[in-house]
Amino acid sequence: MNAAPLLIAALATAAALLGSLGGIGGATLLVPVLVAMGAEPTAAAPIGLATVAAGSLAASSRQLAEGTVHHRLGVTVELAAAAGAVTGALLSLDVSERLIAWVLAAAAAIGGVAALARRGVRNPPLGILHAEPAGEWPGTLGGQYRNGEEIVPYQATHLERGLPAALLAGVVAGLSGVGGGFLKTPAMSELMNVPVKVAAATTTFTLGITAAAGLLVYAVQGRIEPLELAGAIAGAVMGGWLGARLQQSLAPTAVRRATGVLLLIVAVVVAVRA
Amino acid sequence: MTPGSSPEEGGPRDPKAGRFDRPVTALRATTGAVAAAALAALFLGDGPGDRLAWLAIGLLVAAPLVRVGWLAIRWSRRGDRRFSLAACGVLVIVAAGVLLA
Repeated sequence: MNAAPLLIAALATAAALLGSLGGIGGATLLVPVLVAMGAEPTAAAPIGLATVAAGSLAASSRQLAEGTVHHRLGVTVELAAAAGAVTGALLSLDVSERLIAWVLAAAAAIGGVAALARRGVRNPPLGILHAEPAGEWPGTLGGQYRNGEEIVPYQATHLERGLPAALLAGVVAGLSGVGGGFLKTPAMSELMNVPVKVAAATTTFTLGITAAAGLLVYAVQGRIEPLELAGAIAGAVMGGWLGARLQQSLAPTAVRRATGVLLLIVAVVVAVRA
Repeated sequence: MTPGSSPEEGGPRDPKAGRFDRPVTALRATTGAVAAAALAALFLGDGPGDRLAWLAIGLLVAAPLVRVGWLAIRWSRRGDRRFSLAACGVLVIVAAGVLLA
């Protein structure tokens, strides 16, 4: 049995576990850690995107059943993000490893700051909608979601601000292998006025598409090591599953802050090595 | 009892309940298949493990793209052409990436 896939599986499990508890993508932690351990950024990128795709798939059935994913918003945002991911993946062989390492360090630092930052509630519940089902309104970027016993309506705005952010997230994902959720979710919630819960679920849906686009380009480029990716996929699914069960017994704020600090440390290590 | 109420509980009922039952089941089954194939690949190693790893990767890549295709068809059938075109656009971008690579 080859040791590398097992090591990757163990690291992916830990990253997905911390990621799901801390509210960040596991690849944002995993890829910089792999690079800090000596892996080449171009080799670590497919491993990262495999964990992104696995995390997205594992969460998809629950989020679809809850009605928190806004598919129309996700597909619209993904027009930019998929184009960015394809561009980033195509460019990744032509740019220097040092630049990719800097992108990874920046991604880890932004993820760390995002994990440490606070979030407020922007969209208030509306009592007259108590009997309405959660979901999206056909033909629009609006919808409503269930927050406890209350139904909260929302309408995505400022698409012209969200699409450039999604494009940037896609380029970062294709270039470096981190998901880019740390850019997409804040872009949807802060720039497009979408509630955080919907933004997070919709981002998870879109990340699967972004990762698939990047992985297909990597596969054609011959950059996929199947057993290493199998380890990453198995680890991501196991870590996400464990995280979902541990969420009830751990204080999410403390875990989120610890993950944020860890990401900042990883960012410094990757930046120093670059 | 008002329209939309549940006869058993007397409370409000989601009129769209169950509309995603089939895709939810399909996504659960795909997740299980991907995880099982990836785990088996890890323990089988080179040869059969490689083939199972490619199966896991293939399913992982196909799942979100099939979902987008399903959305494109669903929205097109319901007259939501703008978003159906957006979904087709995403698939075209991914295909273009593969061709350019």
